[in-house]
Amino acid sequence: MGKETIVIRVEISAMLGLNGKISRRKMDRLAMVITNLHNSGKQVLVVTSGAIILGAEKLKLHNLPDSQLDMQATAAVGQAELIRLYQRSFDEYNQIVAQVLLTSDIIDYPQRVENTRNTFNTLLDMSIIPIINENDPVSTTDIEFDDNYPLALIVAKIARADFIVIKMEMNGKYLIVPGSSVSSIVVDGETELQEKLESICQVMIPGEDQEAIHFPPSIGEILF
Amino acid sequence: MDYREVLRNKHRIVVKIGTSSLSYPNGRMNFHSISKLAYVLSAIRRRGVQVVLVTSGAIGVGAGRLGLTERPSELAKKQALAAVGQADLIKIYQKFFEEYNQMVAQVLLTKDVVSIPSRNLNAKRTLHKLLEMDIIPIINENDTIATNEIEFGDNDTLSAIVASLTEADLLIMLSDIDGLYSADPRTEIRAEIIHSVLEITPELENLATGAGSSFSTGGMITKISAAKICLKDGIDCIITSGSDPGILFDVLAGKEVGTHFVAQKRKTVKHA
Repeated sequence: MGKETIVIRVEISAMLGLNGKISRRKMDRLAMVITNLHNSGKQVLVVTSGAIILGAEKLKLHNLPDSQLDMQATAAVGQAELIRLYQRSFDEYNQIVAQVLLTSDIIDYPQRVENTRNTFNTLLDMSIIPIINENDPVSTTDIEFDDNYPLALIVAKIARADFIVIKMEMNGKYLIVPGSSVSSIVVDGETELQEKLESICQVMIPGEDQEAIHFPPSIGEILF
Repeated sequence: MDYREVLRNKHRIVVKIGTSSLSYPNGRMNFHSISKLAYVLSAIRRRGVQVVLVTSGAIGVGAGRLGLTERPSELAKKQALAAVGQADLIKIYQKFFEEYNQMVAQVLLTKDVVSIPSRNLNAKRTLHKLLEMDIIPIINENDTIATNEIEFGDNDTLSAIVASLTEADLLIMLSDIDGLYSADPRTEIRAEIIHSVLEITPELENLATGAGSSFSTGGMITKISAAKICLKDGIDCIITSGSDPGILFDVLAGKEVGTHFVAQKRKTVKHA
């Protein structure tokens, strides 16, 4: 069996400090945790949101944009800032990251899925962590602010991930659901799944409270 | 007739810059060139001309970042390097444009922006919005997901498509050659630069593709086809040397630099 592949979904709202701006400290912690997971031998892909909030900050907007068009333009400014922020945070741990922008209609095009999978595999083979976001400026689907959950599922599907971390808060709470290839484990027995989840969490925050693991209300509903 | 006169009154321009103008022959980034480019484009923007930049260089920057000495040939590897390099490239642009207080945005396109109407409309609206906000959009191909079917193939074609999408009135392609020549300037001492092209004739295309002229492989073929797209849409097009981005000032002053593909039915852009 090859390395386990894990998709981590980062909601930018979990990365904000008390002033409502992105907290460097939280980003640093995130980069450390993810790099550490990667160093332990897992293949990690990150799906992030945050382009709009960073764009609004850069443009000194008082309110987040609300029209689709304003969001797309703000995201084009903010994505550049976002990837810069990730680069800086991961640089601290000597970890190289790559930017991958997808539109969610990718799943309708098998050739593109195949291609993107190859890119992911190549990046992971080169020990690079892909930082993935929706390509908002050209996206034809509505931008649902802060909800990159569907994209995380799509990425998990493309990468044939074993697990998706769908909620990650910096106080050590994780919500993990199995990805496309391990759905049978859920059916066969929860112990094995539990063990897998625990082994992942052990790596993420060694020694912290394992009760932090929460099963989603209905795993089956979230599977593809 | 002075065809260059019209270039003094352009309102929305697309500038395309290639890897060779952004890096040294050893593949490392030429910060001096990039810094100068940021200065020139910011200055042009300050004059009230809207600017879009189409840039190459992601794969080269990615290779540099990872310490590779050769560019890979394998597609997946190239795409991986582009994903690493694009992040670095946009960071460098941001850094230099910030020095001139000029806001930039990153827009990555795939070729289906032409064929899928909803995608086309979205990209068009976003780009117009960015220009309206005084932002310089920095555009590249979204290499990471591009497959042959959706690949522009080269940024010359991409830049012409961007010029159409943004309804620009001028495309300037900065290249490693200072224009289209009557023969290969490296072997023919009588080769002369062609300053104005009114029509892209088969003879002219032969100049770029002609057997035995190795300078055609320097990308003149794709530049001519990009110029064709522009002329069809009534957009003036310039091919000139990118070794000093300051040449953009000369182009917009109507000076006779590079090769000018003269638009016949000209597009007019209302002043923003």
